[in-house]
This record gives sequence, structure tokens and C-alpha cells, in this order.
Amino acid sequence: MVKVTVDPLTRIEGHLRLSTEVNSEGIVTDAQSSALLFRGFERILQNQDPRDAALLTQRICGVCPTSHSLAAAGALDQLFGVAESVPKDALVARNINQALNTIASHATHIYVLWGPDLANPAYRDVLTPLGETGSALWKELLGRFAPISYKLDGVPVPVGSSYLAAIPEKKRLQEAIAVIGGKMPHQVTSYPGGYTYKPTIADIGKLSSYYLQVMDFVSKYTLRVSFEDWIENTYKASSPQKAVSFVLEHLQGLVDKTAGSNNFTREVGWGDAEFYAAFGSELVGETLLGLPASLKHDRNGGYSDPSKIAFLAYGAFYKPENGDGYDPNSPAGDRFQTSGIVTGNLEYQNFDASKITESVAHSFYEGSGDLHPSKGETNPVGDPAEIRYDRGPDSRYTWSKAPRYDGIPCEVGPLARLLAMKEPLVTGLALAFAENGYSAANTYTRMMARIQETAIIANELLKWVTVDYDPNGKIAVHTDLSMAKDSQGMGLWEAPRGALGHWVSTDSNSKVISYQPVVPSTWNFSPRDSSGTPGPVEQALIGTKISAVENALGVDYANPVNILHVGRSYDPCIACAVHTIDLTGKNTPATLKLV
Amino acid sequence: MMNKNNPHDSEKTEKPDFFNMDRRTFLKAACLLGASAFLGTYRTELVSALEMAETKIVWLHGAECTGCTESLLNGGDPDVIAALSALNTKLAYHETLLAGQGIFVDDKPANNAELNSEILVDELITEGNYILVVEGAIPNGPNGSGRFFVVGDRTFKELFAKAAGNASAILAVGTCAAYGGINSASSAIAQLTDYRGVAFKGADSSGGMLRELGINKPVINIPGCPAHPDWILLTLSAVVLGKIKVPSDLPSVLDRYGRPRAYFDEDVHDECPRHEYYERDEFDTEIGGHKCLLKLGCKGKHANADCSIRKWNGGASMCVQAGSPCIACVEPGFPDSSRPFYQPGSGSSLEGDSHSSDSDEGDSYEKYSRDKSSDYRKIRRDD
Repeated sequence: MVKVTVDPLTRIEGHLRLSTEVNSEGIVTDAQSSALLFRGFERILQNQDPRDAALLTQRICGVCPTSHSLAAAGALDQLFGVAESVPKDALVARNINQALNTIASHATHIYVLWGPDLANPAYRDVLTPLGETGSALWKELLGRFAPISYKLDGVPVPVGSSYLAAIPEKKRLQEAIAVIGGKMPHQVTSYPGGYTYKPTIADIGKLSSYYLQVMDFVSKYTLRVSFEDWIENTYKASSPQKAVSFVLEHLQGLVDKTAGSNNFTREVGWGDAEFYAAFGSELVGETLLGLPASLKHDRNGGYSDPSKIAFLAYGAFYKPENGDGYDPNSPAGDRFQTSGIVTGNLEYQNFDASKITESVAHSFYEGSGDLHPSKGETNPVGDPAEIRYDRGPDSRYTWSKAPRYDGIPCEVGPLARLLAMKEPLVTGLALAFAENGYSAANTYTRMMARIQETAIIANELLKWVTVDYDPNGKIAVHTDLSMAKDSQGMGLWEAPRGALGHWVSTDSNSKVISYQPVVPSTWNFSPRDSSGTPGPVEQALIGTKISAVENALGVDYANPVNILHVGRSYDPCIACAVHTIDLTGKNTPATLKLV
Repeated sequence: MMNKNNPHDSEKTEKPDFFNMDRRTFLKAACLLGASAFLGTYRTELVSALEMAETKIVWLHGAECTGCTESLLNGGDPDVIAALSALNTKLAYHETLLAGQGIFVDDKPANNAELNSEILVDELITEGNYILVVEGAIPNGPNGSGRFFVVGDRTFKELFAKAAGNASAILAVGTCAAYGGINSASSAIAQLTDYRGVAFKGADSSGGMLRELGINKPVINIPGCPAHPDWILLTLSAVVLGKIKVPSDLPSVLDRYGRPRAYFDEDVHDECPRHEYYERDEFDTEIGGHKCLLKLGCKGKHANADCSIRKWNGGASMCVQAGSPCIACVEPGFPDSSRPFYQPGSGSSLEGDSHSSDSDEGDSYEKYSRDKSSDYRKIRRDD
């Protein structure tokens, strides 16, 4: 048995360690996920003006600040008793802000954080001996996705064309947020009861212009088929099978046209999304399209026991057609992306926030009970010698807690959201993998879900900007501090990387008693719980072959590229994951009741 | 009122020769032009910088949110990659952007510096001759061990000490790295975590992590939550091009909180896009309006930064323009010195002293404003 440890897993937000045990066949037999930093964030909100939460909590994460501030605004809407009356146009402005942040975050993840792994030299070693096809594939991988300051065998590699082109688009999307959010990162417009800025007709024009420019990038780099055709035949397909068939036919057309000449360039139609859709998967690429090789990303990052995993979404994006106000409980179907639970066997259930518990049995906190986040008692270890990451899965080994839904570890993020909303393409892919003996969730489906979610949110964004938002509408209702006395609020929302909830309660002076965010990476990167069940990424690593293309060239312990793929496929945000602290135990117990 | 900072009004920005400029004029011109115009207009001159030796940047991430890196990526036109190239500067280590990661096989570093970021950073530090950029604060706790943040099987405090010790210049980017920022905010656990900025803890220039480690190195602070990409790129440009000589020029170009005066001399209030409403005593008392935000808690009078002139995200907007009060995120006491954010006349002083948060909107705030304005004027440049 060999210990293979990735520490830090870079190209993520924050600091993460993945420790694995790998057998002689190069298969992970045990894995631990460790969040390496302790900030103690929500304690700074105690005894403070609750309205500060929307600006302060977004400082948890500079990649998805909008999500935090909107989850906070949601909790404050309820705290101030105005959730049912927030004006429709404020809700649409929040949607636009959230949509832009989600698209920017996904684009950053796909091109800047995750993409560079496709230029890992292990793929050169596997692909180039496969003749012209393999060499052509490697040329595309390196030429599109190489990061900055990259070297191979001492030779500097030019920055990948897709990577390079994506940076200005990420910047453009953040400019668009600034137009209606003041600045980015850390936009400033989320506020209980509405939105601090009333976007003008000129702003709508600017947003439309930004949209067209970003879509120009998409059509040149990401998706070479017409965007409208793609949306019409995947997201709006009448069944999952039809959505998958459309994609397969589109890809088959590309294969037929170009495979003979080994030309896999963008110019002949292989956008980044099409390229990955075909060559990322063994089932899609080799079995269904008859390609000679693939990266086999559908073979790693899966779950072996469906009874120990579920997919969780809290729901996001208010429906403009519902008019003013919204239900803070995010009941099924109430939002554009609905809340929901999808079991490991792909069965659907309604979401019930009262079923969330957090365990600290393997985290650097005293205590071991499984408690609802609003009642958390978390006392960090204060002895430096106790903070160690090398004592195995039975020890305390992370600053992340272990949230569970009805006792089950949950994956959150684009895959969970698109399954919950029964998005045809991702649902169809998940079913196809499950029916063919693969895990429905794997590195490939996680990335395809992120790509597809970017597309469907971009599609909806245009409607919110040009149809639903009324620059003459009302942007806020009155709030004042007296409305927040002895109150409580729950903000259920989604960050780009998964379900995000903020819980707040106040005293008779309207000061914060407790403030608790439960964030996506706490779910995905959770450690074992009190019954010893590993968290999602730990389960996904166990069984994964660590080296490129299913250990095609044998086991290379020193370049465990599939560990990197699996870890990064969840789009980790560890600054988010490390949150809850109550050192002194003086937190007044929250009286929040969840319905 | 005449805008003294409008580039069109300033003869000094007309065809300046950057390479023969004295330091002060350089900073002023660079400040006025912004990163975009600076790097665009002086492309030809900058090409000659290619003849200089390559400058390496080692960028470390402490306790942060990656917002300052995100902000860097929002850098002007040309974008950050083109800007670094124009300056013949290489981002040699940056864990959010580079290819590598820490890889250990049976607890020993594996592979090489091209794929293993832990080997890379150690090699770079050993070679020396790099500019160290720090994003994020550094925990000293618990009990001085630094173990609240362990990365690559060593404390971040230890990695920082090693990197700082061999750096030719140090930039602390963002309020967290400069002063501790939100990590150091008042709370029941602030003493336990004991977060430090690089050279400061809050406004205390003797409380930084460097002093704690016994390292004596000059530091340029570029605060902000996040730091503006122009502030980062232009300061880097000035250091790389030798327009700011470290350490000899620092006393004259930095203010008492270690910030380049070129960007942190103005206050947000004076050039605020809503200033005319202030002049006319017209104030918003509910969100969503367009008047002065003073009564909604705006701290623009106490925020020393050129946001009102420079604006954010390619000039798209800024906080007060979007109806949200300035929270003075560039100040050493942030966030305590600014909160409650939405209440006027509250917050502690810039030095992080406790200040009553119960005062009403009336006299006490005006008195506070006067106190603070006289305070900041002391450090304004004297031209």
C-alpha cells in the first residue's frame, strides 16, 4: 500500500488536502479530505447589526461572493419579515446578479481551474503512442488548456488558446456584475427587502451588450453548434433520451466529418464542449461514437454504494411570474432551479431543511453529537499538537464538519441541481451511465453538468434582462432594525458549486445571536461522520484508478492525475467550507425552528 | 467644482517620458492614467523592459477568499497576462493559477517542480531574487504555533517566514494581507486565532507577522477588499521598472499605513458621484435611491482611496454609485472601523479603537467626521 497525498490541491479556492491509500494496482482503497485552514468567520457577526451580514459573509468567498450575499439577503428578508413582499424587480435584479456570477464562476472553473489538468503530461504519454489520432488529441489538449507559466521537460509551453481567450470573458462578466452590483468581487447591492440599486434602461442595454460579447466567445470557443439549437434540443427536449440522442448525433456528425483526417480543431466544429463531450467519456466516445481513444473520465469519481450518497439542491433563482415576494422554504417547483433530493438510485424526494445535521466526530472540534446547524456546538481544539492530518480516518482530520441529510452524505453542485430539476441532457446522461454499469455521478457527468448549467442559465439570463426586468418597477420595500427583534431567518440558495444556506437569529435589540452558513464544499468535502461513513469526495476517490486513462501505462504514484480530476470536478471552495466555530460555548442556543 | 484629478486637466499626463520621469511624477502619471492606458500607451517603452532581467513573482495565499486574485484577473486592457508579459515579469508561483500541486508519495515530495508546487516554491525561494506578493492574513494561533493553517505539511507561518526572508520586495495585497482584515475582526475568538497582516495588525505597525518572526523587511501595502487591479498592477510596474526603489523610496511614497499615496491619498467622499447631493443636504434614508448615502452609513469620508475617480471593473461603477454605502474597506481597522455598515456615526476609529456604536445620526457623527477629516488630512501629500 502506498500513501499518495495531494497537499495542497491547488487551482481551487482555499486550501485542501486529499490523502489516499493506493494499492499495487493503482486503485484508491481509502481517502480522507482535509480542509486546512480555520477562520472562525461567523463569530464576527455575533452581537452585530444583522444587516451587515450580506456584505460581510460574501467575504467568505471571492469567487462566489454574490451567492453568499444573496443567501444572507434571503435570511434577512425572513428575519425582517419581508420575504413575501420583496418587489418582483428586486428579485429579478438578484437573479441577474446571481446568473452572471454563476456563469463567471463556471467559466473560471472550466477554463482556469479545471482545464489545465487536461494538459497534464500523463496524457501526452498515453496518447502520443496511439499514432496520429492520439497525437492530434494531445495537440488539442495542450494547445487549448495549458495554463500560464507552464513548462514540460523544461520547455515553456504557450498559454492555451481557450484559457487565454476565457480570461477576458471572465473579466467581462465581472464588469457586467459591476454595472448592476457596484463592483466585483464583493458586489454591494444585496439588502433585506430588495436591492440597493435600480438598474436603468441604459444598464439593460449594457448588460445585453455584454451578453452578446460573451456569447460570441461561446460560439467561437465553447460550443460550435448554434446555441439556440443546443438549448432547443437538449434543455427543452421532450425527454432525456431525445436530449442525449441530439448530442450523440451532433457528435457523430463531427466524428464522421473529421476523424478520417484526425482534425479535431475548433475550426472544423470541435468546440471545447463538444471536444470534451466526445473524448472525455469512454461510454460516449468509445462505445457509442466508436472513437479509438478517450480520457475515460466517466470511469473515475463515481460512487460505489448508492445507499450512502444523495444529490441535494436548495433551489435558486426566483420565478418572475410569481410576482412580488417568495417562499423562504423553497418548496419544490417554486424556483427556476428547484430544491430537491435525488437518491443514489436516482429517485426523487422533496427537500426538508429540518433533516440537515452536522457531525464533528472527525473534525477539529470537541464534541461528537449530530446537530442541526442552527444548534451547533462547535469548540475548536486549542492544542496545536491536536491539529494533525496524518493520523488516519479514525482521527479528527479536518476543519470541515460533516453535514448529512437524513443521515446521508450529499453531493451538491451543478449535477445535483440539474438532476433535481430533471434537466433532460444531464438526466439522460446519468441514466445512460447507470444503465451501462457506471456510476451516474462521475468526473465526466459533473463537468458536463457544469457546462450545461452554464448554457441554461445564460439562456434564462437573457430573458430576465430583456423581458422580466422593469426599470420603472419598485426595487425595495421599507425595512428598519425594529423589524428584526427576536426574529429568525433562513436563506436557502445555491452557490455555483452547490447548495448554500444561511441561518440567522436575533435578540430583543435586533442584534445577531447566531449566524450559521452551511456551504457547498462542507457537503462535498466533508469528512467521515459519527457512523464512519465517508463524505462524497472520499467515496468518489475510493475505487478510482489514480493514473491517466485508467492506469493505461501502469501506476504512476508521482502523478495521480485522476485524484486531481476527481477533487477538482467538485469545484472546491474551501474558504467556504471552513466556517463554524463556537470556541467559548457561550453562543446562546438558537431557537430557530425549521419547517 | 473643478476635478483636479481629471487626466484631461493635467498637463503632466501629456506625452510623459516614463523612463526619464522622477518617481513622484511617474506615480502621479501612472495613477492618473490607470493601468489600462498606462500599459497600452507605453507599450513601446515597455518593450525595452524586455531587455531587463526577468522579474519573478511568488504569490502566496494565506487566509483569504481569493477575491484579490479574482480582482487581479479583472486587470485593465491589456489584461493581466499581457501586462505581466509587457513587464517581462513571470508569475512563478501562484497556487490558484499554476499547473502544479503538492504531491507526496509515502510522505516524500514526488515528481518535480513542473508538477509539484511544493518543490517549485521551495526552489524559487532558494534561488531568491523575487517579489513576494501575499494575499490573505496569517494566523499566529493557537499559542503562536500557526497551526490554524497548515499547508503542504508545514504551517503557513513557516512558509511565509521562508519566503519573506529571501524576497527582494514584499507586497501585501488586500486588506487581509495588509492588516489582517476580516480575519482579525473583533470576536470572541480573535485572540485565539491571532491573525496578522504581513507588516501590520490593524493599524499597529509593530503587530505584523514579520515582526513576530524577527524579519526586518520593507513592505508595500495595497489594501482593499478586494484590492483594485490597477493598484496591484501599477505598483508592481513601478517596482519592476525601478520607479519605486525598495527600500530607499518607500518612506516618501507610502503613507503611515504603508499604502502608496498615489492611490490612497484621496478620500472616496470628495469625488463621490453623489457628492452634489451631499452639498445640497439631500440624503437617502431608504435603499434604492440616488442621493447622498451619508444617512445610510456611508464611510466615504474616512476611506482613503481613489475609487471615486478610478471606479471599478473597467470604470463600470463603484459601491456608492450602486446605492451601497462605502464601508472603507481600505482602512487598517476594517471591518470594525466601519461597522455597523448601515448606521451613520458609528464604527470605531481607523486605529481600531473602540468607538461608541450607539450614537445617533446627529451631532456626534458630525463631530466624528470633523475629527476624522482632520486626521486624514495630516497624511495627505503636501503639494
